[in-house]
Amino acid sequence: MDEEPERAKRWEGGYERTWEVLKEDESGSLKATVEDILFQAKRKRVFESHGQVRLGMMRHLYVVIDSSRTMEDQDLKPNRLTSTLKLMEFFVEEYFDQNPISQIGIITTKNKRAEKLTDLAGNPKKHVAALKKAVGSTCLGEPSLYNALNIAMQTLKHMPGHTSREILIIFSSLTTCDPANIYELIKTLKELKIRVSVIGLSAEVRVCTILTRETGGSYNVILDESHFKELLMLHVKPPPASSSSECSLIRMGFPQHIIASVSDQDAKPSFSMSHLESVDEGPGLTLGGYYCPQCRAKYTELPVECKVCGLTLVSAPHLARSFHHLFPLDAFQESPLEEHTGDRFCQACQGELKDKSVFTCPACSSVFCTECDLFIHDTLHCCPACIHTQGAS
Amino acid sequence: MLELKRTLDAKGHGVLEMPSGTGKTISLLSLIVAYQKAYPLEVTKLIYCSRTVPEIEKVVEELRKLMEFYTKETGEKNNFLALALSSRKNLCIHPEVSSLRFGKEVDGKCHSLTASYIRAQHHSNPSQPVCRFYEEFDAVGRQVPIPSGIYNLDDLKDFGRKKGWCPYYLARYSILHANIVVYSYHYLLDPKIADLVSKELAKKSVVVFDEAHNIDNVCIDSMSVNITRRTLDRCQTNVDTLQNTIQRIKETDAAKLREEYRRLVEGLKEANVARETDIYLSNPVLPDEVLQEAIPGSIRTAEHFVGFLKRFLEYLKARLRIHHVVQESSPQFLKDIYEKVCIDRKPLRFCAERLRSLLRTLEIADIADFSPITLISHFATLVSTYSKGFTIIIEPFEDKTPTIANPVLHFSCMDPSIAIKPVFERFQSVVITSGTLSPLDIYPRILDFRPVTMASFTMTLARTCLCPLIVGRGNDQVAMSSKFETREDFAVIRNYGNLLLEMSAIVPDGIVAFFTSYVYMENIVASWYEQGILENIQRNKLIFIETPDAAETSMALEKYQEACENGRGAILLSVARGKVSEGIDFVHHFGRAVIMFGVPYVYTQSRILKARLEYLRDQFQIRENDFLTFDAMRHAAQCVGRAIRGKTDYGLMIFADKRYARADKRGKLPRWIQEHISDGSLNLTIDETVQLSKHFLRQMAQPFRRVRPAPFFTRFS
Repeated sequence: MDEEPERAKRWEGGYERTWEVLKEDESGSLKATVEDILFQAKRKRVFESHGQVRLGMMRHLYVVIDSSRTMEDQDLKPNRLTSTLKLMEFFVEEYFDQNPISQIGIITTKNKRAEKLTDLAGNPKKHVAALKKAVGSTCLGEPSLYNALNIAMQTLKHMPGHTSREILIIFSSLTTCDPANIYELIKTLKELKIRVSVIGLSAEVRVCTILTRETGGSYNVILDESHFKELLMLHVKPPPASSSSECSLIRMGFPQHIIASVSDQDAKPSFSMSHLESVDEGPGLTLGGYYCPQCRAKYTELPVECKVCGLTLVSAPHLARSFHHLFPLDAFQESPLEEHTGDRFCQACQGELKDKSVFTCPACSSVFCTECDLFIHDTLHCCPACIHTQGAS
Repeated sequence: MLELKRTLDAKGHGVLEMPSGTGKTISLLSLIVAYQKAYPLEVTKLIYCSRTVPEIEKVVEELRKLMEFYTKETGEKNNFLALALSSRKNLCIHPEVSSLRFGKEVDGKCHSLTASYIRAQHHSNPSQPVCRFYEEFDAVGRQVPIPSGIYNLDDLKDFGRKKGWCPYYLARYSILHANIVVYSYHYLLDPKIADLVSKELAKKSVVVFDEAHNIDNVCIDSMSVNITRRTLDRCQTNVDTLQNTIQRIKETDAAKLREEYRRLVEGLKEANVARETDIYLSNPVLPDEVLQEAIPGSIRTAEHFVGFLKRFLEYLKARLRIHHVVQESSPQFLKDIYEKVCIDRKPLRFCAERLRSLLRTLEIADIADFSPITLISHFATLVSTYSKGFTIIIEPFEDKTPTIANPVLHFSCMDPSIAIKPVFERFQSVVITSGTLSPLDIYPRILDFRPVTMASFTMTLARTCLCPLIVGRGNDQVAMSSKFETREDFAVIRNYGNLLLEMSAIVPDGIVAFFTSYVYMENIVASWYEQGILENIQRNKLIFIETPDAAETSMALEKYQEACENGRGAILLSVARGKVSEGIDFVHHFGRAVIMFGVPYVYTQSRILKARLEYLRDQFQIRENDFLTFDAMRHAAQCVGRAIRGKTDYGLMIFADKRYARADKRGKLPRWIQEHISDGSLNLTIDETVQLSKHFLRQMAQPFRRVRPAPFFTRFS
């Protein structure tokens, strides 16, 4: 629709009846419904506990972002591309927060071609920077599923068997322009055990349905921005590993951070190995850093794979953080406030319980408010009251 | 179910409208079978008529499932015999004959191997080829009934191969004692075939016409005859051949002709001895008394009859040599023919029967060549038998090409009830059902019967999986309509183009767009091309076009499906009343949206239609406009109904004409579509449509769990 620039005006675009969900209460006030909507939105997060399943903790994920003409559609504000890239930044941060020993790479596809925006790497900064830069790029032509999948496959197929190989496609267009039969490619992907998931921005497309069904991924279509975010966040959690994937012990290095002050005469500034390739990030000469226990190569950030000896370098907190996926915190029991008989204060924030429902931890039967319940499950991943009692005993 | 039970209890007829893909077939089958089991004496047979061979096969498969369920639940072996019947082409297992490609060839060849006189010759002269499968069947097949079970066409063939029996004749014979027969409705409606195949079916049968929304047209077609100059020319050669053969036989075997003469004197009944195999030619519905009578003397001898045919031919030729349109009734025609060439009404009536007898006597094996003369003889019989309900229209040229002389004689039936009347009278219950029968009350009127029940069912949906939208205006507020006055309007064409363009950008995979006629489609597509709209659409999806050529269309269809499958996306431009709109389903991704451009009225200037409308008005008090709207709406519903074939399916239905918003049009859509049309989806502009569609498609793409697996209907009050 690039030949119709006048459609881009906000008031000429389609109208949305945002007001229709709001309903006045008896007194004519909207407050109640607004609060209700907010409350619903908070509680939307689904707790899907897998029970005890093997999870692919080391993930290799390629995200394919469609940058075709359709990404200029304005049904997401300000347009699909900007909105997607914003969410992707958030996603990348969240992804590394939850999967510290995993890697991600970004591919864009437009004008019947696909190109790598970033290679598979374990450093969020580079990805975020690339995403920020991509906001200004123009969207044109049609996407090519085949080319994008092919590029991702070329890299992923060399990944070791104990790691997960995943592709997440954010697909805005309804068509794809392929140089060859895509069903052949799907077969190959299936053989390589690459899981492909698709998030559709406009509607259900047949080829994506088949693609995801064959490779064991998920296929969702967004309803609006918040739903989009929710769907993206579903991919933050590591997927259950297939039973056929091999298990292996992995050598890991836990380098110590050596801090050297400028005043120290012995310290010599040195280059970080990860900065060698990127020219644009300044000199990269620093004093301190992480030194690989095997070859003494220096890195400024973790986690990273040593460029010299190939050792995976992580810090202990990283591993600890991915631990909670294996032992997720049980969902708290929700009960209405009227039925609650104990004290009227949240165990965590000590505030008064005002919301319609309260949440009880099944293990220690402490009571929490909605806000704290969300915080505990999303961020802490353990019940503070339980830990408190454990520490006391 | 309840309605159906009521119909069966009352031993009456019913009209039921049920949306497709909701388990219509299985509901019908299960209740009627249960009824058969409970009251074996009340209902002895179920005759299930469907339209095409694939549909017949589908019904048999459903039936098989039902029977398996019975065996599983009750534990006892079921003793039902159910079988499908189709033409020789689909059932023949003779190695040579079955390799022929056209149905007509197969029939002719089969006839040349199995006709009674051929077989008689075979007795005296073993080198005369006959069909061994038929011989085998004739020798032993009749004594032992076929074991009970469910037989589809392939099963019949396998059984036939195993036993060495002809599956076609086996099936034909077995339908007499089968509990359930599944076949095409031509076997019941077309008098030429019905007389042979379905003659001896028991009265206590339940007849179901599935997909019967076009049943009146089928009835009419089966009774109408079109004669062109080419037909007459070929008749001429036929007559010459006949004459030569008679001459030859007369020299060699005069006794044979005398024998025939004697038979004719005795009456036609006698002539039916070896009828079973000689059915290739048979007469249209003849009143019983005609069969009792003897052939009139004037055409009894072979030479006289050929002379008679010659005269008749010459008369028809003379009639076709005209420069203006003539329309007359049967009595007028008979009067004229009597005055001009002194042909009486009575011999004309016997024409078909006499020709049949002659062909048999002359032992002409290859009967396929004689179809033109057979056609003429049918015409002669029909025109002299029925004085009401038929009209004769002679057009010297086609309306589109007034300069090229191409005279056609249409002998057109205007009253569908003539063909279907025997069915209603004969069988105790007749159920007419389809996805689109609204408005229900018009069918009983045009088919002239009194139903016990008429009901329209809607779907109970786990989600609203259909989204009918009526688009009345473009973004520039110009009304969209295929009305005659505005159809050439530039703004209307442009708006239609914009609608398709916008939809092509938001609908995934396949879109099917229906136009009202080929001519209209050509015009619009040409002007879209000039305006560059077509080019823009092609950036979103590929475009395929249905043409009157069947081979081209099926090619386009194949490619269309491939494009949908590959994620390329495609648009199929087709025509309401065309092949695509009638027989082809666009499940799931093959049809995410159907766009109906304009209201598919029939070509109202056609003389045949005008005559029929007049007849309907005079005989049944149905106003022209009512019938036209009814006809247009059922085709529109049929078109848009292509997209929804079940509960898990979903699709947009876009009616692009402001006239759909009017109550008289809207009210004639089937209930299951109507109930989803809210006031908010009437008279939309294009961008409103786009907005609603986007929302709908996103909603539908959300994961869907099947809530209720069993077929289920609710009554719409």
